[in-house]
Amino acid sequence: MLASIASEALSGLDGKPVQVEADVVAAAPAFYIVGLPDVAVQESRERVRAAIVNSAYSFPSRRITVNLAPADLRKEGPSFDLPIALAFLVATGQAADGCDGRGPLAAVGELGLDGTLRPVAGALALAESLRRRGVRGLILPAANAAEAALVVGLEVYPARTLAEAVAQLAAGGCAAAPPADLTVLLSGPPAEGADFADIMGQEQVKRALEVAVAGAHNVLMSGPPGAGKTMLARRLPGIMPALTLDEAIEVTRIYSVAGLLPQDHALITRRPFRAPHHTISSPGLVGGGGTPRPGEVSLAHLGVLFLDEFPEYRLSALEGLRQPLEDGEVTISRRLMSMTFPARIMLVAAMNPCPCGYLGDRERDCTCPAHRVRQYSSRLSGPLLDRIDLRLDVPRVPPRDRRSGAHAEPSATVRARVAGARERQLARLAGTGEYANAHMSARHLRRLCTLDGDATALLDRAYERLRLSARACDRVIKVAQTIADLEAAPRINSAHVAESLSYRIRSHHDR
Amino acid sequence: MNARQHFGRAAEEAAARYLIRHGWRLLGRNVRIGRGELDIVARRGPVLAFVEVKARRTRTCGAPEDAVGALKRRQVAHLAELWLAARPWALTGVDDVRFDIIAVDSGAFPTTIRHLPAAFTLDG
Repeated sequence: MLASIASEALSGLDGKPVQVEADVVAAAPAFYIVGLPDVAVQESRERVRAAIVNSAYSFPSRRITVNLAPADLRKEGPSFDLPIALAFLVATGQAADGCDGRGPLAAVGELGLDGTLRPVAGALALAESLRRRGVRGLILPAANAAEAALVVGLEVYPARTLAEAVAQLAAGGCAAAPPADLTVLLSGPPAEGADFADIMGQEQVKRALEVAVAGAHNVLMSGPPGAGKTMLARRLPGIMPALTLDEAIEVTRIYSVAGLLPQDHALITRRPFRAPHHTISSPGLVGGGGTPRPGEVSLAHLGVLFLDEFPEYRLSALEGLRQPLEDGEVTISRRLMSMTFPARIMLVAAMNPCPCGYLGDRERDCTCPAHRVRQYSSRLSGPLLDRIDLRLDVPRVPPRDRRSGAHAEPSATVRARVAGARERQLARLAGTGEYANAHMSARHLRRLCTLDGDATALLDRAYERLRLSARACDRVIKVAQTIADLEAAPRINSAHVAESLSYRIRSHHDR
Repeated sequence: MNARQHFGRAAEEAAARYLIRHGWRLLGRNVRIGRGELDIVARRGPVLAFVEVKARRTRTCGAPEDAVGALKRRQVAHLAELWLAARPWALTGVDDVRFDIIAVDSGAFPTTIRHLPAAFTLDG
């Protein structure tokens, strides 16, 4: 007796079709799973056996062969438990497949020994992939239902137990989960935890960060310990424009695949903020593993990747950032597969100016020998620093600023200005495929950015006096363009260039 | 036949009587295939069972059924496949094929016989 249930395997951020076939015959008893299964899939036999017996079905003593087709695709993880159990129950006549003539239902889910269904990773990506292939519906663990219901055009049939899944299958799908109300999910309160207004003083730094966010420029902050670098960085997602629906789904898909989606959030609506510790490995940061998984750069997609103690990171990890910073995505190649994860991040790096942290401080002396200072900043390669548009000194806050912070601007006000600047960029960059000044190519820069006479003169002078490279010069123009956009100025004037230059000329780590 | 073999034979005898009492038809006893032996092959309705009999005089080394180790299981399973291959007709009308263990425990008093249906499968 033969039965077959459709399922779906996760492959990067995408799904691949898998057909689960079960053959049950009278022969020396055995339970075989074939079709390139990994250990978790092999162990599925014990879960399925126990779940079936404990759900009051019978597990006859016959030869059971389960095939996961196509046989050349490596199958991983516990999500095939449910389709294997369903195929077995149909093959032994204990369950009916009621989908005749209406198109089959797919199934995914992990089984507990008592027959309860546990959530699986990547339900959103699986559901999207099934929808694209025109599959009618999906039976899946109830805990994944809200997430899968984000996909418009796929019927989602939640089940809490194996018995409920059998009922869904027999009815050809009954009691579909209501499609998610996307506007409600998206318009939820932004739940501001940390606000820019919390930070006393540091007005210049805040201004620079506003410019950085407005143009999606990468930033390196340098300053003594305790100056507030981390506090500032944490507040950056709050001044970024809200995620659009498509962006929110993109971020949610990554978190779903990584198994990091919080149970009570079907949709991630806030921009990610990732702050991995400096001991992180290169695969941890950019993604990797035998079967590639998204790394921190991808988890920070469309948000902020904050690297504190920047020079302390492993060189391999830092250099691994170069490609994602350039391309906005990471491609990881393995023998059997090559996967691309999105990684369009704003990099916010922070460092002390020297190992002791007080180089250039007004009140405390630096105790580092000169060669240690050189060594410290030389860990950052030129090509990496090249991708950072703004370099800021974050000084310690003088006492009078610490007391008089009452009038600091709230994040919402800043966010409104940033949103305005982003709109103007989007209008100007229409047709280039980019959305922010930082990503402009040199060609677009020449064509789209107009400097007035004074600005050109100032830039030429700076080019000579500061011995800027041509690329550095382009970067100055990009940042100046963002400053102009914040003011809604039609062209770049000398004040914009001057401010932009001020984010460029930084003493210690600029060789 | 030495004392140990006598003890084993007696246990198999007890197991066979037990099966017959419970409605099984014995298709074979001490079936030799090559160098191996299947203790009992029995049929009841749609069920065909290959039965391994294991006896213990004392409990000092654990229960008899625990003495049917991985090697023995593989051996029995392999012999059963050979037995079936030589007799394709034996599967007519059969739904379930099982590997059972009958534990004859002389360590308890009185001697107890435990029948463990579907004690193991081909894959362990």
